[in-house]
Amino acid sequence: MPKIKKGRIPVKIDMTPMVDVAFLLLTFFMLTTQFKPPEEVEIQLPASHSEIKLPESNTMTIVVSEDSKIFLGFDSPYMMENMFGQPNRNRQAIEIKLENLPDLLIKARISNPKLRTIVKGDANAEYGTISDVMDILKKTQITRFAMVTNFKTN
Amino acid sequence: MAGVEIGGGESKNKKQGKKRINIRIDMTPMVDVAFLLLTFFMLTTVFRKPQTLEINLPPKDVEVKIAESNLMTLRVDENMNIYWNMGIEIPKRIKFEDLRKFLREKAAENPKLVVLVKIDRKSKYHAMIDIIDELNLANLTRFSLSPMTEIDKKEMQRAS
Repeated sequence: MPKIKKGRIPVKIDMTPMVDVAFLLLTFFMLTTQFKPPEEVEIQLPASHSEIKLPESNTMTIVVSEDSKIFLGFDSPYMMENMFGQPNRNRQAIEIKLENLPDLLIKARISNPKLRTIVKGDANAEYGTISDVMDILKKTQITRFAMVTNFKTN
Repeated sequence: MAGVEIGGGESKNKKQGKKRINIRIDMTPMVDVAFLLLTFFMLTTVFRKPQTLEINLPPKDVEVKIAESNLMTLRVDENMNIYWNMGIEIPKRIKFEDLRKFLREKAAENPKLVVLVKIDRKSKYHAMIDIIDELNLANLTRFSLSPMTEIDKKEMQRAS
């Protein structure tokens, strides 16, 4: 068969719309991404069916790690500086002793009455420690708090 | 690939009419980088935030009296064995998998039901979350947590 030499049509695809969409998505993802701040301790969260979202601002987080150590953290650097001093300004949470927790909680509530309390416990932490923390919350008149969980589907 | 054609739009050129130079900018590397970043951000974005279980503790010095027939006690020992009893009955053991159905039935039988949850201090934190979660699913929002005493441990032994 003879070769057809002139029948080839150069196909040009206009990529502009695709590139436009790509850039749109890129901007979207760049703006919505929030990088996870480095954590003081690794926490394995327990799971529940609750669908309430975690509050984002004005939070005070009490972290109980797997080996039952207690950490206290605030979402704003200002509160961290206020409570733990300038060098700890940018840290997420500071390890504290259970005995000091009531005083710290009261101090924090005085400097920001709008604070919301979050308890973030490791799934394998001892219940006794959590129970002690809850007793302290009750004693310091914090009767409403949230416990962080992962979402469970079944 | 996408390119931009820029005519040398000078007034002199326009008058001369035939000396237009086409500058083509090759956009390929830029688009490549854009796609690379797009993939990166798509893969690193986490949409789902952790959920929370909200708890309201009763104020310290308020005592609520509950009729014995409306009170169910759930006891959880350190090995995640669950025992239940109404009022002062002898505790009975129940499997965690059966708990949801059981609590739903009980909640439907008696809308005034109040659940007292007692968890062993040596137990794990997720035991408490699991139990509270099951209570919430069964719409039993009136529950209270109280410490486990020696008497409770003896009660559990009576069951097994």
